[in-house]
Amino acid sequence: MTAVIETTGLTKTYGAVRALDGLSLSIPRGGVYGVLGPNGAGKSTLFRILLGLIRPTAGEVRVLGQHAGDPAVMRRIGSMIETPRFPPYMTARQVLQWLALAHSSKDAAIDAWLDRVGLTEAANRRVRGFSVGMLQRLGVAAALMTKPDLVILDEPTSGMDPPGIQEMRALIRSLADDDGVTIILASHQLLEVQRVCDRVAIFNRGTLAAEGKVSELTASGERLRLSATPLARIMTVLGDKATLDGDAVLAAIPRAEGPALLRALIEQGVDIDEARWVGADLESVFMAETGPARTDAQVREALHAG
Amino acid sequence: MLADAIRSESYRLLQNRTAVFWSVFFVPVMALAISIVGQLVIQSKAVKINGANLPIELGGPLDLGQALASSAGDLANPAILAFLLIGAATLYAGDYRWETWRLISARNTRANLLLGKVGVLKCLTLAAMLAFLLAASMADVAKAAIFDRPMTFTFGAEQAADFALLFLLSFVRVVQFLMISLLAATVTRSLLAALFVPLVIGVGQAFLSGPIAGALGLEPGDWLTQLLAPGLAFDTLKAFIRGGMEAAALPDGVMVKAIISLALWSIVPLAAAIAWFGRQDLSKE
Repeated sequence: MTAVIETTGLTKTYGAVRALDGLSLSIPRGGVYGVLGPNGAGKSTLFRILLGLIRPTAGEVRVLGQHAGDPAVMRRIGSMIETPRFPPYMTARQVLQWLALAHSSKDAAIDAWLDRVGLTEAANRRVRGFSVGMLQRLGVAAALMTKPDLVILDEPTSGMDPPGIQEMRALIRSLADDDGVTIILASHQLLEVQRVCDRVAIFNRGTLAAEGKVSELTASGERLRLSATPLARIMTVLGDKATLDGDAVLAAIPRAEGPALLRALIEQGVDIDEARWVGADLESVFMAETGPARTDAQVREALHAG
Repeated sequence: MLADAIRSESYRLLQNRTAVFWSVFFVPVMALAISIVGQLVIQSKAVKINGANLPIELGGPLDLGQALASSAGDLANPAILAFLLIGAATLYAGDYRWETWRLISARNTRANLLLGKVGVLKCLTLAAMLAFLLAASMADVAKAAIFDRPMTFTFGAEQAADFALLFLLSFVRVVQFLMISLLAATVTRSLLAALFVPLVIGVGQAFLSGPIAGALGLEPGDWLTQLLAPGLAFDTLKAFIRGGMEAAALPDGVMVKAIISLALWSIVPLAAAIAWFGRQDLSKE
């Protein structure tokens, strides 16, 4: 498995702030790779280093086998960092034409790309009147029209409506599956990431907290959900392996121990209404790796204090 | 490639019709209009004074060739410069203002991107200068028509050489200010700085170089005088090209100093801008 991105001890500091702290990461060629993390975790900093917009303070980074920022490599990358902005006096078609010229791209198929991101009707409108979602679509078209080997997208569905998000998801998957493009994306929409990505890396405070296939990361958090009475007796049997989930209990046990647990609970006089295995979603993996969010009570308290 | 940078920059600039109008066409059109109106007013006054309703003839034949050659030396005038700086500011600082560096910096080397802008702006400068020359010639034709003066066109080898040298000199002088604008835009990331810093420097040079040279006891032919005052270097070269008494009075060796001064004021800001831009954090726009 060859890597499109390899970083070793990558560090970037802004004064006293360490945006990246010795990050070592290898992103394989092919598929869709998600980079997750709370705000300030270092995702955008990594992307900016990969695109040669900023230089690392320390460490090494190789993109498609070359140094980041190498012009020959940059021409093989398509990117969209944050919500893109364009010269307001240009139309959507002119923006793509301008960028195609900058890239020396003679067969950019501009109209086809406008169609693919759903901007055909707005092709001749000036971008000063575009919504955030339309700018995102145009940014994605700009990133993809030069047929890059690697595409880096920062929040590609930000500001899009649900149908737009669905279209974008389909577009990203088709580029990876049909065109063989490697796509690296960052997003806070964890459900979308779980749906579209093959692998993810979870960043926390500039370091790599977890990395792997989405299916593996979510499988490791698989638990047995028991709807039964009395719940207190199940909690006693399971001890610290049990957590309450509404009117049910989640049992953190290996799948092989499930039948034995059910027999033991029945012997203890527990009346089992339903038992089923539930996988962890990416959100719970994310929260486990990056630290708990504030509880509702804490948020309310903070609001009152404010 | 540099050609890609030039192609894309020129495409983008051509879509910005407002900037092109103010940079290239506004000054020549206004100059032509003011010239024609002014001549019509003078003609009407002259007719009144003359007491007859007949146009009067002022002066002899109007030599359009000579007028053209003379105009070439006046192309680095403050009006052309000020309005060209609108285009310069848009071109140089637009990518900071519209946060588009990150779109294009991935598509070429940083040096090429800046040199592409410089190349396009030089073309814009040529267009503005040619448009001004055209307007000046049209004004001369209008003048001849209004005052019923005969026209001639003398443009021999000598006039052609003078014209070419004065045109080139004016071009270099304008480019100097555009390079200062580039450096100001790159360092400050500001459209207003790109517009006003070169103007302030130009005004400062015009008003302060004389008193400073005087205070330092410098002569016009001294190295430091020529280097501190590129406007003086420009005037020195213009006088030399035009010849006559003024050229004969120039100190020995001042030509080389003037040429080096003009070259340095163009090259140093450009080199500084490229060096600065090469290490600039383009994620902050």
